[in-house]
Amino acid sequence: MSQVNRRDFLRVAAVAVGSGVALKASQPGAEATVWQIDPALCVQCGRCATNCVINPSAVKCVHSYPICGYCDLCGAYLQPAAKTRDTGAESQLCPMAAIQRTHIEGVYYQYTIDEELCVGCGKCVKGCAMFGNGSLYLQVKRDLCVNCNDCAIARECPSGAMHRVPLSESYLLKTDPPPEAQG
Amino acid sequence: MIRNLFQQAARILLVAVSLSISGCFLYGWMMQDSSLEIAVSLPGGDGRPESADELEKETDLEGVFTWFADLEKEQPGLWPRFRGKNFDNICQDGPPLASKWSEDGPAELWSVALGEGYAAPVVQNGRVYLLDYDEELHGDVVRCFSLDNGRELWRRFYEISVKRNHGMSRTVPAVTESLLVTVGPRCHVLCLDPENGDFRWGMDLQREYGVTEPLWYTGQCPLIDDGAVILAAGGPDALLVAVDGMTGDILWKTPNPREWAMSHSSIIPLHLAGVKTYVYCTLGAVIGVAAEGSRRGEVLWEVPWKARVIAPSAVQVDEKRFLVTAGYGEGSLMIAVVQNAGDFEAEVLYAVSPKEGIACEQQTPIFSQGLLYTVMPKDAAALREQFACYHPDGQLIWSSGPDNRFGLGPYMLADNKFFVLSDDGVLTMMARSTEKFEALDSRRVLTGNEAWGPLALAGTRMLLRDSQRLICLEMGAESGEEG
Repeated sequence: MSQVNRRDFLRVAAVAVGSGVALKASQPGAEATVWQIDPALCVQCGRCATNCVINPSAVKCVHSYPICGYCDLCGAYLQPAAKTRDTGAESQLCPMAAIQRTHIEGVYYQYTIDEELCVGCGKCVKGCAMFGNGSLYLQVKRDLCVNCNDCAIARECPSGAMHRVPLSESYLLKTDPPPEAQG
Repeated sequence: MIRNLFQQAARILLVAVSLSISGCFLYGWMMQDSSLEIAVSLPGGDGRPESADELEKETDLEGVFTWFADLEKEQPGLWPRFRGKNFDNICQDGPPLASKWSEDGPAELWSVALGEGYAAPVVQNGRVYLLDYDEELHGDVVRCFSLDNGRELWRRFYEISVKRNHGMSRTVPAVTESLLVTVGPRCHVLCLDPENGDFRWGMDLQREYGVTEPLWYTGQCPLIDDGAVILAAGGPDALLVAVDGMTGDILWKTPNPREWAMSHSSIIPLHLAGVKTYVYCTLGAVIGVAAEGSRRGEVLWEVPWKARVIAPSAVQVDEKRFLVTAGYGEGSLMIAVVQNAGDFEAEVLYAVSPKEGIACEQQTPIFSQGLLYTVMPKDAAALREQFACYHPDGQLIWSSGPDNRFGLGPYMLADNKFFVLSDDGVLTMMARSTEKFEALDSRRVLTGNEAWGPLALAGTRMLLRDSQRLICLEMGAESGEEG
């Protein structure tokens, strides 16, 4: 029986450890997690805009067109006391003018978020939730988020809406089927 | 000595060079364009056309009539108009209703598929009437069903283009022994014989009175009063019009010099300061129009109100006071009317925002035994979507709590119980209490969304709908009651 020298022992040990790490990484439970906002829990407190370590925040407003009512009187776009339904600065709710309003036909208007301008304050989200269908909501943009271990927004979120989700399901979209329907 | 001079000259030279370089930088910086790239938000940036209100092409309101069946069995019960017989959404003298439901909930007697919307039915002589919208044929349809089994007895269709805009249908007809009147989403009024569906007359309020159609179509429910059909035309020539129910002739018009516009609210007859008054919330003012005597049709008093969207109607509190409310951040006004030798004055006793006091967005509050009951709107802060009880003076008495929210759903009072339907079709029964929220039972009865159509109760049969289905539930004390 040949004796294993120290070099061979280290080589075999390294392969074993490496395989173990690779095997562990391939397990479902080992998938990386990222921060995301649950739209059902979000209360649009505005802290996403001010607490993120990125400036402007990695949280942006997203728009679900299938849910939108394309209203002329849009609670997300217009100030509650706006005298006219137009695009004047005095009529707009968004402090950054990050929502573009475009006439489609008849009484229908399309609303588009300019992500470059959006700071994630959630004012439009609150307006849409109160007076509309809730088609606007906040999400952490994966291309902007640095995925802090201790998310500064999660620390301050009053409703526990910011939590970790698997990387493969990193967006919680309102158009996703409900959990019970996913099988 | 020479060395010192040399060092001093070098220092001066260094300073001079530094100043020159700094000056160059400063000059270059000052020469830059100092204006920032700011996009100015101005009106008109959305491409809004000159007139977004497309006038519907003229349609033959007599339309197409289809007969399906005779009424075989007449079920008792009457719910003849929006908010019921007494305009209060209370079933005053109905039979006893179950106080607790069996495990399966109240029995569903029948159901019918409807076009998308919130239009609700009325009931008379065993017939259920509803103004539906047919998406395939593109038209309003007055449909008559049997209250007994839900079978469609007849329908009358007229062509109208309506696109989905938070639902399509949204009004409640009015019915008497001789008249059935409907108001369609595009402001078309139709009057039929309620028994056989015969056409009496029709009217296009946009075409005849220049009405500006409210946002999301009109929600106005017609009023039949002493044989006359009272309509809020809201046009430049007429604010209210009274039409002879049998002939369609105009009986009187209320002038509209300030061009107040039509809202989703409905005209409610109230007895205020000793006079029967038609109270209507226009977009611009709350008005009281004489409903009797020689001044019939004349504006008796007005209260300016700048609410942008008004769906609820006026609620009488006592012989002087009434409440009006609206959603979209507006809140409520409590108004008192006094008369002094034929002159009327209306005074706002208090005005509250939804965060400060009673409000409702879509439905009209109920006044019962000295208290007001409502489902609070979504912008009512902690009370959002809760069922709440208020004293008419403005104090909150109780609310249903954060675990019991009902969205924008309808509610009614019958047999000393409140019935509240949530947006997603959960019917909750609660005791009429002046002290606290007391739920009696709760069941999911509808599976669709936006169950916003007002409830109707005829005898022990309750009619409820979500956005696409109408159901009839047996609510009697004998059937479905436990214990």
